[in-house]
Amino acid sequence: MIEIKDLHKSYKMGSNSLHVLKGINFKVEEGELVAIMGSSGSGKSTLLNILGMLDGADSGEYTLDGVPIKNLSETKAAQYRNKFLGFIFQSFNLINYKSALENVALPLYYQKVPRKERQEKAMQYLEKVGLKPWAHHLPSELSGGQKQRVAIARAMAAEPKVLLADEPTGALDSKTSYEVMDLIQQINDEGNTILVVTHEEDIAHMCKRIVHLKDGVIVEDKKIEQVKAAQYV
Amino acid sequence: MFDRDVWQEIFNTIKTNKLRTFLTGFSVGWAIFILVMLLASVNGMQNGFLGQFNDDATNTIFIRPGTTSKAYGGFEAGRRIQLKNEDLEYVKQSFADDIEYLSARYYANVTARYKSETGSYNVQATHPDHQAIEKTLIMSGRYFNEADLINKAKVVVIGRKVAEDLFKKEDPLGKFVELNNLSFRVIGVFTDDGDDNAERGIYAPVSTYQRIYGNTNNINVIALTYNPTYDLAKALEFSGKLEDVMKRRHKIDPEDQAGLYVWNYAEAFDNISSFTAVLRGIGIGVGFLILVAGIVGIGNIMVFTIKERTKEIGVRKALGARPRQIINLVLLESIFITTLSGFIGLVFAWVILAAVGPMFQTPAFSNPSVNASTVITATIILIVAGVLAGLIPAMKAANVKPIVALSDK
Repeated sequence: MIEIKDLHKSYKMGSNSLHVLKGINFKVEEGELVAIMGSSGSGKSTLLNILGMLDGADSGEYTLDGVPIKNLSETKAAQYRNKFLGFIFQSFNLINYKSALENVALPLYYQKVPRKERQEKAMQYLEKVGLKPWAHHLPSELSGGQKQRVAIARAMAAEPKVLLADEPTGALDSKTSYEVMDLIQQINDEGNTILVVTHEEDIAHMCKRIVHLKDGVIVEDKKIEQVKAAQYV
Repeated sequence: MFDRDVWQEIFNTIKTNKLRTFLTGFSVGWAIFILVMLLASVNGMQNGFLGQFNDDATNTIFIRPGTTSKAYGGFEAGRRIQLKNEDLEYVKQSFADDIEYLSARYYANVTARYKSETGSYNVQATHPDHQAIEKTLIMSGRYFNEADLINKAKVVVIGRKVAEDLFKKEDPLGKFVELNNLSFRVIGVFTDDGDDNAERGIYAPVSTYQRIYGNTNNINVIALTYNPTYDLAKALEFSGKLEDVMKRRHKIDPEDQAGLYVWNYAEAFDNISSFTAVLRGIGIGVGFLILVAGIVGIGNIMVFTIKERTKEIGVRKALGARPRQIINLVLLESIFITTLSGFIGLVFAWVILAAVGPMFQTPAFSNPSVNASTVITATIILIVAGVLAGLIPAMKAANVKPIVALSDK
């Protein structure tokens, strides 16, 4: 599903150049649930940005579902993001004047799905994350866990190939974190490919594979025994 | 572009920044208010000018003799030119197809008397066609006709004021009035929209007066109207030809401006039109300059809004919003604010003009008003202004990197 070959990325900091990613080789199959771990400065955010087509690599190859991702225009990148990727953010990033339903429907709006159809579809996904009764509430009327579940429904609404979650539990207490991870595991069990960036060991162990980054290279890449989040809920 | 989501977003930003939107919108509304007032004033001026000419036929040409200022054709400068009946005949035959109505004017000052009332008046001795040229309105009786002209009948058509002065309450029709001790029968009374002064005049057949004044065939002015289907270019061409022919006939240097005047209303109309067009241009220019302050204001508030919403725009981009869609959203919002506040200014100006405008009825300025062209002009200016105001913020918004949505740690 995702294939990365010898990926390099450096940032110019004045006259110095900061080499952040120093040759990443990495492959994700369909249906995997991968945790990307590493301390700050290890390059995990940069890797996620490149995977999310929010940033370009200096050199190397990136193929997503057989499509080479290279030299994209803004418009093309927007199209690919919409079609291929679903984002889940640490701080949820819901649009605060739109109801839960409208937030979930937003990616469908950018796919030019007719209003009625996208409302129906958005409602299905809200139901899936157990928030149908809250469909017409504004984000400010929801708890942190509920907000993240709306965000997950939004990420899935466009039926992307890959879900990218950047510290999805970073702003949640541990109980709510496990609830969210339980949801992510369920989605994964349905066959969706999910990448989770985290620095929390327990969250990482709820995935099926852990990739450790350090100083811009992958130091460890192992399959693990998945811990089911459901038992803590 | 015009779906519910876009409007929901526009209304939301306006709602959350009510005061800010109002204050910036006010500057645009104010600018449009001034612009509309300026344009209405120009309209008022135009109405005033045109009103002055309205009582005469607008396709009129006058030929007046003068005194030559250049030696020409063996004559010295300073020769007085005198028009005669033959000139009138000559014009009639030379330009039969171009001329609608044609009349001579012969001027005389008379002392008029009826019973014990006397007064001093100007007599214009003319042909019957003159009624159509001057648009003389007959209140009672009739204008003189060809038969009166041929018979050199001693008949007059008097102005309303003359009738009031001399005849008081009596009906002047059929009565005899003495002009310089010669008796004339009053056959009609006329009125004039133009001014009271015109109603202090007397019309008589030109042939009658030429006989009274020593059997002369002199005339003072040739007045005519040309074919009303002529447009401005054709009218000016015709009056030019007329001038050339008359100057040749009287042996006046074609370059001599003083020997003969051919005065064409169309030219005056053309002058007024271009004058008011220039004024209107200046009005739009000044209005637009004032509007620039409003544009900067709106642009400013939009830049602020975009800055506040950077994160949201980043999220939208991450979810697949194209740069075009973001630009459209910002531009539409900007156009919406400018157009809405502009129209409020427009309505204010319109209400004030509707209330106050009709009070202005001076010769040079009458009934300033908002017409369709003003509204269209203002609308176009507002949309242009909205686009201008939104342009920089829209570019800024389009350049927001979706990374900002992720980098929130």
